Amino acid sequence: MSKIMTVDVLSSIKGAQPSESVNSLFEVIKNANTTNNSFNQNHNNAVFLDDLREDVVFHSPKIEKQIIIENFPREKKGYLVVSKVIEE
Amino acid sequence: MESQIRTIHQQLINKEITCTQLVQERLELLKLNTHVTVNSLLEASALESATKVDAKIKSGQEIGLLEGIPFGIKDVYMLQGTYTSASSDLLKNYKSSYTATAIQKLLDAGAIPLVKENCDSFGHGSSSENTIFGAVKNAVNPTLVGGGSSGGSAVNVSKDYTVFSIGGDTGGSIRQPAGYNNVYGFKPTYGRISRFGLMAYASSTDCVGPITKSIEDARIVLNTISGKDLKDQTTYHSEKILEEAILNSDAIKTVGYFKNFLESDAIDTQIKSDFLASIEKIKSKGIQVKALDFFELDTLVSTYYTLAMAETASNLSRLDGTNYGNRIEGENLKETYSITRSENFSEETKRRIVGGNQVLSQGFSDEIYLKGLSLRDQIAENFKKDFMEVDVILSPVTPNLPPAIGDSLKDPLAMYLSDAYTVGFSLGQLPTLTMPKGTETGLQITAAKNNDELVFKFANFLKDII
Repeated sequence: MSKIMTVDVLSSIKGAQPSESVNSLFEVIKNANTTNNSFNQNHNNAVFLDDLREDVVFHSPKIEKQIIIENFPREKKGYLVVSKVIEE
Repeated sequence: MESQIRTIHQQLINKEITCTQLVQERLELLKLNTHVTVNSLLEASALESATKVDAKIKSGQEIGLLEGIPFGIKDVYMLQGTYTSASSDLLKNYKSSYTATAIQKLLDAGAIPLVKENCDSFGHGSSSENTIFGAVKNAVNPTLVGGGSSGGSAVNVSKDYTVFSIGGDTGGSIRQPAGYNNVYGFKPTYGRISRFGLMAYASSTDCVGPITKSIEDARIVLNTISGKDLKDQTTYHSEKILEEAILNSDAIKTVGYFKNFLESDAIDTQIKSDFLASIEKIKSKGIQVKALDFFELDTLVSTYYTLAMAETASNLSRLDGTNYGNRIEGENLKETYSITRSENFSEETKRRIVGGNQVLSQGFSDEIYLKGLSLRDQIAENFKKDFMEVDVILSPVTPNLPPAIGDSLKDPLAMYLSDAYTVGFSLGQLPTLTMPKGTETGLQITAAKNNDELVFKFANFLKDII
């Protein structure tokens, strides 16, 4: 099997192709000048490790579970029906 | 201070109107409206809540400031038991199983949700035309777009169908429609308000915020929905912004603006001259004004869209029709995924997902995605430097007037470029308010991170001199 995955496969969208409009945005980035080559020097978008919440389980109320089941695309006897797992 | 919330609160207390009358009246306006702002109405629950407020008032009990105040919710927020479609085919019958933190705080304060509001699908758009419910029509001129992505919310507030609405802003989606429809729209510092229960578009810039008709209402709603939330690890504790605190703007000595925003060929001449006239009025009050250097507009737009597309490709990968959504069965699991996504996502959403997967792919990530992150760091550094020189930055909200309905869909690149003045502040995660003054599409006021109060102070000062 080829190791190259095209964007339609990566995106799970049939026949998807890169668009000209979006590619022109990427060209700007390619040609932009950056003062450094190492990314995220400020780490300004990360959460501090000493500020993580406790790893606890929250039990959903009954109504929440009911709505989750209501949202099942296919349901059989209260269980979610999914497609067969693919074999390749 | 002018406040629609305080006025209605007083009318309820004085028994000039009942809450039921108020809610019925607004529901009727929403039903009859021709601006295509409604995805679903919450009529039964709203009337039930209104009856309870009326009973409380009748029995002589005190009511809170937001109790009984009707509001709207952009249709990307979870509210338990309501349809939350993200204006998409994929989720058109999806029901929220839980409630977003910001919305829950408003419910706890007694505010009454009336409507899930039309918007660009998954927040993907700047015109509220990328929606299965039909294009939102501008509140002032219905042949023009309502702006986006929180277009339905801005139009509802502008037309008084809701007293306030909760929008979502990733690259300008609160500020731009607020500007297009002559209302206030506030994007707080990233992390001030919990994103829990907001459908993720680009998680590193997604913000929850109020759209209102007055600064005071924006302050009231902001204080109610802010705060640290265990369910969103990026939130932080913030102090309430007090009314007294924003009455005095003595702390603001220097205002900056970006030279290149005005030197751009893209800016409408009237918006430019109105903006410069506003600057002159500020100078006449003894405030120093500094012209600042900033990144090229196409670099800002490209950096934002590169990162936002990468994040949305990742966030929307969960939408495959397995656990929820409009599943379309294929021969096997992979086929089911791809048919479901191909048939149910709009062209614009597909364009962004594909773009995101392009930049995240091996061979592209270094020269585009990682470079985009590096540029974002530089933009943030630039802001830090600027706020050592100036207290607030003033800018136009948009380079142009709202486009006619249909134009943005024909030219996606033009639509992306129309976000040039809003996306930089999103990348910097800075508090920014659109106020409906100064130019035809308003003015943006930005302060340094976590300095949301200063934005309100300056807005309050500016509203009286412009």
